[in-house]
Amino acid sequence: MNRALRRISIAILVMFLLLLINVNYLQGFAPASLAGRPGNSRAFYAAQNQYERGSIVTSDGVTIALSGLSDGNDVIKYQRRYPQGPEYAPVTGYDTLYSQTGIEAAENSLLSGSDSALTVRKFIDLITGKTTKGATVEVTINSKAQAAAYNALAQLGKPGAVVALNPKTGAILAMASYPSFDPSQLATHDGTLLNKVDKQLLADKAQPLLNRALEGAYPPGSTFKIVTSSALLTNSPSTTINTNVDSPTLLTLPQTQHVLHNDQGEVCGNGGGQAPLITAFAQSCDTTFAKIGMQLGAGALNDMAQKFGMNNANLTIPLTVARSNYVIPPSQALTAFSAIGQYSDTVTPLQEAMFAAAIANGGTLMKPYLVQQVTASDLSTVQTTAQSVLSQPVTSSVAGSVGQMMRAVVQDPNGTAFTFNAQAEGGLVIAGKTGTAETGQFSLNDAAFTCFAPYGNPDVAVGVIIQGGGYGASAAAPIAVQVIKAYLATLGNQ
Amino acid sequence: MSSITAPSPAADPTGPLVPVARTRRRTELSMLIFAFALVAFAFANVGFSLKGSVPSGIVEYMAAYIVIALLAHLAMRRFAPWADPLLLPLAAMLNGLGIVMTYRLAAQGKLLSVKMSPSATMIQLLYSAIGVGCFVAVLALVREPRVLQRYTYTLGAAGLFLIALPALLPASISEVAGTGAKIQIRLGSFTIQPEEFAKLALAAAFAGYLVAKRDVLALAGRRVLGIDLPRARDLGPIVVIWATSLLLLVFESDIGTSAVFMGLFVATLYIATSRTSWLLLGFVMFVAGAFVASKLFAHVGQRFNIWLHPFAGQNPYNHAYQLVQGLYGMASGGLLGRGLGGGQPYITPLVQSDLVISAFGEELGLAGVMAILLLYGLIVQRGLRTAMLVKDPYSKLLAGGLSFMFALQVFVIVGGVTRLIPLTGITTPFLSQGGSSLVASWTLIALLARLSDAARRPPPRPIQEEGLTQVVTIK
Repeated sequence: MNRALRRISIAILVMFLLLLINVNYLQGFAPASLAGRPGNSRAFYAAQNQYERGSIVTSDGVTIALSGLSDGNDVIKYQRRYPQGPEYAPVTGYDTLYSQTGIEAAENSLLSGSDSALTVRKFIDLITGKTTKGATVEVTINSKAQAAAYNALAQLGKPGAVVALNPKTGAILAMASYPSFDPSQLATHDGTLLNKVDKQLLADKAQPLLNRALEGAYPPGSTFKIVTSSALLTNSPSTTINTNVDSPTLLTLPQTQHVLHNDQGEVCGNGGGQAPLITAFAQSCDTTFAKIGMQLGAGALNDMAQKFGMNNANLTIPLTVARSNYVIPPSQALTAFSAIGQYSDTVTPLQEAMFAAAIANGGTLMKPYLVQQVTASDLSTVQTTAQSVLSQPVTSSVAGSVGQMMRAVVQDPNGTAFTFNAQAEGGLVIAGKTGTAETGQFSLNDAAFTCFAPYGNPDVAVGVIIQGGGYGASAAAPIAVQVIKAYLATLGNQ
Repeated sequence: MSSITAPSPAADPTGPLVPVARTRRRTELSMLIFAFALVAFAFANVGFSLKGSVPSGIVEYMAAYIVIALLAHLAMRRFAPWADPLLLPLAAMLNGLGIVMTYRLAAQGKLLSVKMSPSATMIQLLYSAIGVGCFVAVLALVREPRVLQRYTYTLGAAGLFLIALPALLPASISEVAGTGAKIQIRLGSFTIQPEEFAKLALAAAFAGYLVAKRDVLALAGRRVLGIDLPRARDLGPIVVIWATSLLLLVFESDIGTSAVFMGLFVATLYIATSRTSWLLLGFVMFVAGAFVASKLFAHVGQRFNIWLHPFAGQNPYNHAYQLVQGLYGMASGGLLGRGLGGGQPYITPLVQSDLVISAFGEELGLAGVMAILLLYGLIVQRGLRTAMLVKDPYSKLLAGGLSFMFALQVFVIVGGVTRLIPLTGITTPFLSQGGSSLVASWTLIALLARLSDAARRPPPRPIQEEGLTQVVTIK
């Protein structure tokens, strides 16, 4: 029996060895990979108990996220708060027990104080006995422009988003999405309540959690004519904005029975079948640009769309931006549709703003960025975002020409957005392009507007998309104009 | 009543040159004092971490714990003076750590999925006292291990009855709220898990039956496919006991305990017959049984799914939440842990019972978990050493069976919590909150102490000159 007992002993030894090896793996090697697993709130607890998380502030000093001591009975020391609520939700994101989004996620290590860039400062704090605090993140948002953008969206009450850029630097001046949510609700330390709120938000048909400004995908409609015109003026140097181009009232698409006509069967130019390019652009003639698109071919359109920032899945600001798509169509007829921003073209509201920004900045597209700088608790700067060029879609002369055409959209009496001409806006000259895209999803079309102002020396470029808004000029453009005015007013004050 | 004392070499200079046998009760006492110091230190650690001072209650808890452990020590001196000196300190140490963890979790009891009241520590101490009471009773009543052999069939029947009891009672009395497992008997706010005691009864019954039948089991029978099959009438009763217990356990949704029973059965059979084929057959039968059960019973299949894909889809938020939170807790503890009172074990559901080892992992780290595993390993080693030393075959089988069962229970629960094997809800000996497991564990230690006392006791020595009629004293 002792021989059997000895073997049993060996079996038990193996069992304990397996347990010891497994525990060594679990606690010695796996913690790093387990820390980021779904539902792991231990890191959150540890971070919130160890350091006061840094604040997030706008470029003009409005605090949009901060941490303070929790109420007495809470087991977690610090409570996160979002004083501005839904207005800034697309910027701040949230920091919950289980996950993070927005700036809270993108700058988490600096906000929480765990970043290696803060190690020396933490050490000094330890010696001097100061309580360590996470770094403060300053975003590029201008609070006046942001308020104008969110309030205008909320007033309209339709799902949509606004992005305003500084075309010279790429700084994001406003980024609003509607409907939105209050991140403070999700900052609760009560896991049961958090799950309940989270489920409600996820189940909401209005999709309040979706940051439409960066993650929405909408057809650009006629705003894509900026790309088509840029491709035409680049590929055919003899063409100017005054060159007459074919502008039929009806256009039968090749190899189909489909007859393309302009909105409401409008006549383009004087009805002679030809019109100057600038007139066709200002009036937004679909037949003209469909024809130009077919002449240029999908390859040229694709190249130009890509230079304007589309088909790029790797853009981060540092929040991840969804890819705006130009899909090469399989036929000439569909190429015609793609040239006027239909078929499978989709853009984010940020991309919409980037169209105008590139033209406004003389053909140079600056990389959009949301974080201005990060400062440690001792007010020393930890990092600053350096401006960089994303691409050069067109030469400055082509940009000048497209800019002139965009000016005509707003300033020319035939232009689709003439409502917002300089006289009506107190001398402010805005240049832009409307878009009205058929989606088939809503009873009304998606409304888009991309613009920059002031025309001579642009300080701001804005992109607006309203789902089911109807006409770009009536739904999207008024919001863009409010944002522009709010922002330019702050420049005047300075 | 007379007792035997170790002869000193000086009194018997002509005696044979054998090592002098010692009772080692002083070693036991000094090891116990070491355990007291460690538990006191752990208590103080919790106090400083959670309240910033040593709360007064801790002193009383500590005093009660020391008194309980010293009573066990005195019982050892009185009833089992030759017992292994490490068993009691090891058990007392684990019991003490369990009380400390109960106190620590109860301090934040409101945060737990199953709330704990501040009186939980007192209740755990009360269970410890009852456990030590059983320990003393077993030592006092069972003066010779072989006494148990007489009650082989009685114990077998009692074991089966205890297992079957919760299945026969209505779910309102026997079901553990929210788990679907019918394993307890609830009387008011007081619950008993009879299977904890059934394990011990069946271990004794298996040993008793097999020691009587081991020769016929090993020799008489036919050889089929290279495996010696015993005669049905010899194996019949044991297979009936085993199959019934397994069926009942599947019926009661208690997979972990059925694995422990199966292991106990196979190991005892193997020790009795020394036939490796039995080990293989038992292992294959268990794996096949588990596979079939995972296909037949949804709750068993889900255990496998949780084990294989804990992080997939919604698993970390619902089915695998408990396992995954336990893993996160242990991972957050890392090498040295967050310190007692410094972690967030309260996030993990049922951390006070099934997943208590993950709380130790979180707060004492890898170092603490390895130390606890070594404490368990030492208890098993002392048990196996006893089985090797003891002469009587029944005692050998019982000591081997009990040691293996104890080891397997630790393996099933610690392996389950650390995702080495599928997680099944069984108690962690001495550490889990709850009375039945604690009392049963103390009873198991008492049986091992009784067996080791028999193993280490020196043979009766002649008390008269050679050549005369020998008179020996027998207790």
